[in-house]
Amino acid sequence: MSIIHVNNISKQFGRTKAVDNLSFEVRPGEIFGLLGPNGAGKTTSIRMILDIFKPDSGEISILGGPMTEEKKNEIGYLPEERGLYQDIPLERCLVFLASLKGMDEASAENKIEEYMKQFDLYEYRDKKVKELSKGMQQKAQLITALVHDPSLIIIDEPFTSLDPVNTEMVKDLLEQKRDEGKAIIMSTHQMNQVEELCDRILLIDRGQRVLYGALQEIQSEFASRDILVTPLAPLPDSLPGVSEINKLNGRYRLVLEDAAEPNHVLKDLINQGIELTEFEIAVPPLTDIFISVVKAQEEGDHV
Amino acid sequence: MFKSKIWQIVKYEYTRHVFRRRFLFSLLSLPFAVIVMIGATLLIGRVSTNTTPVGYIDLSGALANPVEQAPSDDIFDPVIEFRPYQNRDQARADLESGAIQAYYVLPEDYPQDPNTELLYQEEPDSSMQYQFADFVRNTLLSSEDVDPQLVTRLTDGSLITIYSLDGSRQMRQDQWYQIFTPFIAGIMFIIVVMTSGGYLLQAVVEEKENRTMEIVITSVTPGQLMTGKIIGDIAVGLTQLIVWLIFGWIGLKVAGNFFPFLQSFSLPSGYIAGILLILLPAFVMIAALMAAIGSTMTEVREAQQISGLFSLPMTIPFYLTSSIMMNPNGPVAMFFSFFPLTSPITTLMRMSLTVVPTWQIALNIGILFVCAVFAIWFAGRAFRLGMLQYGKKLSLKDVLRKRAE
Repeated sequence: MSIIHVNNISKQFGRTKAVDNLSFEVRPGEIFGLLGPNGAGKTTSIRMILDIFKPDSGEISILGGPMTEEKKNEIGYLPEERGLYQDIPLERCLVFLASLKGMDEASAENKIEEYMKQFDLYEYRDKKVKELSKGMQQKAQLITALVHDPSLIIIDEPFTSLDPVNTEMVKDLLEQKRDEGKAIIMSTHQMNQVEELCDRILLIDRGQRVLYGALQEIQSEFASRDILVTPLAPLPDSLPGVSEINKLNGRYRLVLEDAAEPNHVLKDLINQGIELTEFEIAVPPLTDIFISVVKAQEEGDHV
Repeated sequence: MFKSKIWQIVKYEYTRHVFRRRFLFSLLSLPFAVIVMIGATLLIGRVSTNTTPVGYIDLSGALANPVEQAPSDDIFDPVIEFRPYQNRDQARADLESGAIQAYYVLPEDYPQDPNTELLYQEEPDSSMQYQFADFVRNTLLSSEDVDPQLVTRLTDGSLITIYSLDGSRQMRQDQWYQIFTPFIAGIMFIIVVMTSGGYLLQAVVEEKENRTMEIVITSVTPGQLMTGKIIGDIAVGLTQLIVWLIFGWIGLKVAGNFFPFLQSFSLPSGYIAGILLILLPAFVMIAALMAAIGSTMTEVREAQQISGLFSLPMTIPFYLTSSIMMNPNGPVAMFFSFFPLTSPITTLMRMSLTVVPTWQIALNIGILFVCAVFAIWFAGRAFRLGMLQYGKKLSLKDVLRKRAE
């Protein structure tokens, strides 16, 4: 069963089509990457899922039906437009926002205390929000998205302003939530985070679906027939089944002939007595896929 | 559960303002100003009243057995000692030395001959002259062996109470000052409405400015948010009002010791009920309109300027006081009591001046209720349309025409 089921939604602002006939679903227990260039329609899609905007056409089913007030308590949201009440102490701000998610005050206070300790914010709990640094506010906002233990978490650029330590911590937290069976939609431009975290992705451009599916499948779809090897000694100038050998920084990139199989190349290398510390089928970085797909779209438009 | 979310917003909005130093300051500033004003008035009254004794030379012997002067309970009218003199020389010497401020000379044939002389260096207060007249009258009457109660009635006059034909209203002569009630209540109403309206305006614009909007709106509906904010800020206004009323009541009790006529101060319960039924929906209406303005604006300062436009029509009835007073059931008064923004003050004034037909009061309350509901609806709509348009103003046309997104 899917947590979100989006069916052919479109949304137009004036004459621009922000979202154009988009369909996808998000399942429990996965981190779902929502990717796309700036202005692709990611935020508009999220806002439609959250019932901030109504789609011009199409349907959205969330937690098994249309959005209701009860369901709002089941959703945690870290919006692109960051904002907390600036003029009140951090703890009061967090408790108030948690109470709007249906938490009673006592459990909100307990949970927030726990999270503040985890995020190193506890000693700042009486400080006004506006006195906190950007990174601290970011962490506070993450607490707001997670504190009521929602079954659907929607986060827009969760890692901005976070230092490496906190980034790791948030990543662990998100993975933990996924393992608990929560559905997480993550929108980000940090492709390395997507590669590390996301199970499935949706890439949209100009409101339309460009890529959609399991990350691994997409990557192998785009995989070239290249092998990366790191030998202890330099490689010979030619290898059977290999049409091209490129040396890069102690590593080699081997371009295979059409009929060749990576397994056979590996066997040959071992038979020749070449010791390897690394043998890897080259997976194209998501960044490259992203760029090539978006560029292809643009070129298609120009034809 | 949704009720409890509204309640959370009410609580947040209320505590956010009430526990701030700024609020406490504005709360105490009015009573403080009133205390200073009353104090200054008392001081001026005391200083400006000349209590130096006044002499009299009674050539007729009519004042041979002077009555004792009753102690005064009015600080602006303290008892002045009247000192008998045998001859003009001595009285004149005392006048010149400043021991007395003036002296009267009653002619030999007094009271047949009423030509009395008053000699002074600086003209005495009229209150002293009234006191001397009372003193002479009381002394003359006491020598004729008249019932003392009759003396009082003769000198003080009657206490007249005017009743309306249907018996629904009455006005006692000594409660003339109650004519000021609508003015004071009106000014207090405007201050309270503008204060809590201002808070509301600020709260809504801030909500947009600090971008908390998206989180809040994915937790509650715009209607819940608006209702919570409106109730919260109205509660702030009412807190202010109640504190002021308590101060006012204490002030009245204290002032009653100095100004005995204030002790009879009372307002008929029907009048109070009418006022409440009119002021409450008016309050909600204006608060909601403020919230609507806040939703369409992007800067607090700008929004505050626009909100000033509301206080203006609200005060119009004050400028029309004379015309409303002359003809409290006339067309001008009626028109302004039906127009929602001028209605509260106009109706307050009319109700204290005349018997306003019940159907008119009912219609008034009805109009205000409908307007209040419409204003809340309008505010919710403006908020929903305006909430995601950061940095963009929303025109009235947009709010009325656009279908809610």
